[in-house]
Amino acid sequence: MASKHKLLAPSGTTRLLMGNEAIARGAIEAGVGFVAGYPGTPSTEIIETLATVAKDLGIHVEWSTNEKVALEAVYGAQLTGVRSMATMKHVGLNVAADPFMTLAYTGVIGGTVVVSADDPNMWSSQNEQDNRYFGLKAYVPVFEPSEPGEAKELVKLAFQFSEEVGHPVLFRSTTRISHVRGPVVFGETPKNITNKGVFKKHPERFTVIPAHARKLRGELIERWETIKEKIPKLEPFNRIENPGHKTAILASGLAYAYTKESLRMLGIENKVTLVKIATPVPVPEEQILQAAENAEKILIVEELEPVVEMQVKNLLYNVDKTIEIHGKDYVPLIGELTLNKVLNGVARIVDLKFSVPSKRFSNTTIKLPPRPPAMCPGCPHRGTFYSLRRAVNKARVKPVYSGDIGCYSLGVLPPFREQDTIIEMGGSIGLANGFAHTLEKQVPIAIIGDSTFFHSGVTGLINAVYNSAPQLIIVLDNRVTAMTGEQPNPGTGINAVGDPAPLIKIEDIAKAVGVEYVDVFDPFEIKDGTDAMYKALKYVLENKKPALVIAKRACALEIDRVAKRKGVETPMYQVISEKCTACGVCYNAFTCPAIMVEEDGKAVIDESLCTGCGVCAEVCPFDAIIKTRDGDPEWYELWNI
Amino acid sequence: MGKPERLNILVVGVGGQGLITMSNTLARAALLDGTKALVAETHGLSQRGGSVEVHVRLGDVYAPLIPEGGADVIVALELIEAARAANNLKNNGTIVANDRIIRPAVPNVEVPEREELLEYLKQFTKTIYLVDAYDIASKVGSTLSQNMVVLGTLMGTGLLEGFVSIKAVEKIISTLRRAELNLEAFRRGLTDFQRI
Repeated sequence: MASKHKLLAPSGTTRLLMGNEAIARGAIEAGVGFVAGYPGTPSTEIIETLATVAKDLGIHVEWSTNEKVALEAVYGAQLTGVRSMATMKHVGLNVAADPFMTLAYTGVIGGTVVVSADDPNMWSSQNEQDNRYFGLKAYVPVFEPSEPGEAKELVKLAFQFSEEVGHPVLFRSTTRISHVRGPVVFGETPKNITNKGVFKKHPERFTVIPAHARKLRGELIERWETIKEKIPKLEPFNRIENPGHKTAILASGLAYAYTKESLRMLGIENKVTLVKIATPVPVPEEQILQAAENAEKILIVEELEPVVEMQVKNLLYNVDKTIEIHGKDYVPLIGELTLNKVLNGVARIVDLKFSVPSKRFSNTTIKLPPRPPAMCPGCPHRGTFYSLRRAVNKARVKPVYSGDIGCYSLGVLPPFREQDTIIEMGGSIGLANGFAHTLEKQVPIAIIGDSTFFHSGVTGLINAVYNSAPQLIIVLDNRVTAMTGEQPNPGTGINAVGDPAPLIKIEDIAKAVGVEYVDVFDPFEIKDGTDAMYKALKYVLENKKPALVIAKRACALEIDRVAKRKGVETPMYQVISEKCTACGVCYNAFTCPAIMVEEDGKAVIDESLCTGCGVCAEVCPFDAIIKTRDGDPEWYELWNI
Repeated sequence: MGKPERLNILVVGVGGQGLITMSNTLARAALLDGTKALVAETHGLSQRGGSVEVHVRLGDVYAPLIPEGGADVIVALELIEAARAANNLKNNGTIVANDRIIRPAVPNVEVPEREELLEYLKQFTKTIYLVDAYDIASKVGSTLSQNMVVLGTLMGTGLLEGFVSIKAVEKIISTLRRAELNLEAFRRGLTDFQRI
């Protein structure tokens, strides 16, 4: 089958690939031997794609427990001479920042690429931090492509460059590279991949005790000077187009694509000098100085922070060049780039009157209902949130819901509103460790998913036991890392490449670290779930100790797909119209997306959306929802985890 | 009028309706015909039943996103989402829409009437094509093929002439899962639509 995989098409083939797939292909062409990462939008598909070909090619590919662990594994692997790559979303690099900073001090043996997929506009993230700053901070060169096809080439180059200078490369992608599909031309793949190596001891370099680190710091700065000299030579990725004009535009990464199209739309492609930058850190000084020589005005187009702008201003000051420079005053700091924003900036620098297109106004308005993302039909989290509200009411406590990152973050929305804080991965138990000691009349309830628990919840849990932080911890265990597309994790029983793996149970971990109250319930059983969480809350209040309960059911998205693929018959449910009182509990309080509303307010189930979980039948106060067809026994098995 | 240099197609709908598959099918077909294509999609949370937008750009394109107010065509798999995206349509642009309303899973939500939505859309263009993709797809065998019916209608309007051929789209669909069913859905969509 290997030859049929779209990522393994022969050299010369052109395929429509997603940026992340292009990055994966680039790593294959570079002969990568070791890849580790943690899922996070928009980075996930790099490893997902590599995992499907890993065994055929002999590449070790893994989902690590978090980004720090992933980068450490990559650190070790490259020290044996194997080309290695770590992948993560931008905020993941915060988690991995510790090994990342030191990686620059020791340098690398095997080519090492750290991919950070940034998320301007925060499509799926808590912030829009610009990780090119990490490059400046750590003295690590940053490579930034302008489109998926270039991403593939640039990853390949990043490995070569890294190995040549003995230094890591930070490869910065963004949502509009990683999740854009475009034509990618395949290159040659190496005949043999190096996936085994030897570690040569060199403690002066690889043990960063203070005496060694001081010396390494000096070497790092020396290496940085070498890197700065080599960067301008990375043509055609760094290049100057139409030199000699009075207006010069410098565009980094994706900004080049927007700038190029803007220049074409304005018909001034041949009247402006354009410097394409693929290395925003450090900037290619040669091309920039060349462009500045004849220019009277410079515009710097880049997404988010003025990383290139700061360096260019610094550079020109140092060579005594006085020139008009615009950057963030012409192209906004906040949010992702759009053609409209770049067109505006470009038209302004060349003093061109141009009416940039904008959204149109209508004569009449219409009230459109919002359509936020929702938990899927059959999602076990819905039952957990529904039961938790009942348990809290029954226990008459004032809860503080310390939430976390995952599909269950959607519990912040009505009707549930059971996420009062969502900060970062693992933050639920983390913040509750503070709430537990400072709240007087409210009770902290930490809500966390299985993958997030393995990522960084477990350390917070140990802290809760050690420092006696009374809190109710609810783990929503659906056996997969669901939000990013159901990747396996230590609780799944398989690894990234689909091989069986030890299944680590969260209840075992909780008991082992000393949580005295551990319980498991079925979120499809509203009464049982309510009861389990009520009892646990009582325990926390009476004993002033943490309690942990696990809601266990498979991810509905996964089961729905597996059932369809295998042809497993699902149960069917129907609303008996005569019994339905139009009370709205099923569609307003439980809000299953498979339940539609008739004109008279009565509920009706959309069979094409219903997964057959049957929880609506339990929440209906009038027993108006009944099972009309039973499912195959196998269907019930699929849900049990 | 000569062929434009580029075509901006904004595909909108509800997460789970197969927008991404539909957009990729179109872009792969474009590539087959030698037309450059870029598809920008949003992943992550928005998959889960929320509003989804996919930008498909064909021809002489570099940037992944359609400029605001710059869509030549809006392809909507749902009418509320068509209305939400309508202000991005160029003057004299075209709307191709699935004649279907999906209630958002939001408590006490007020859903606009079909007529109200269509009247609103008419303010932005005189060229609106409607297709009952749900009905057609059910008859063909699976409501999951609604996306292919709408793709058929998009191709049936002739708007993509010179960029993507029907033949190329059919070729790509035949590589998808449940190819026959999807092909049938696509072919029905090519003709079974109305202009309002």
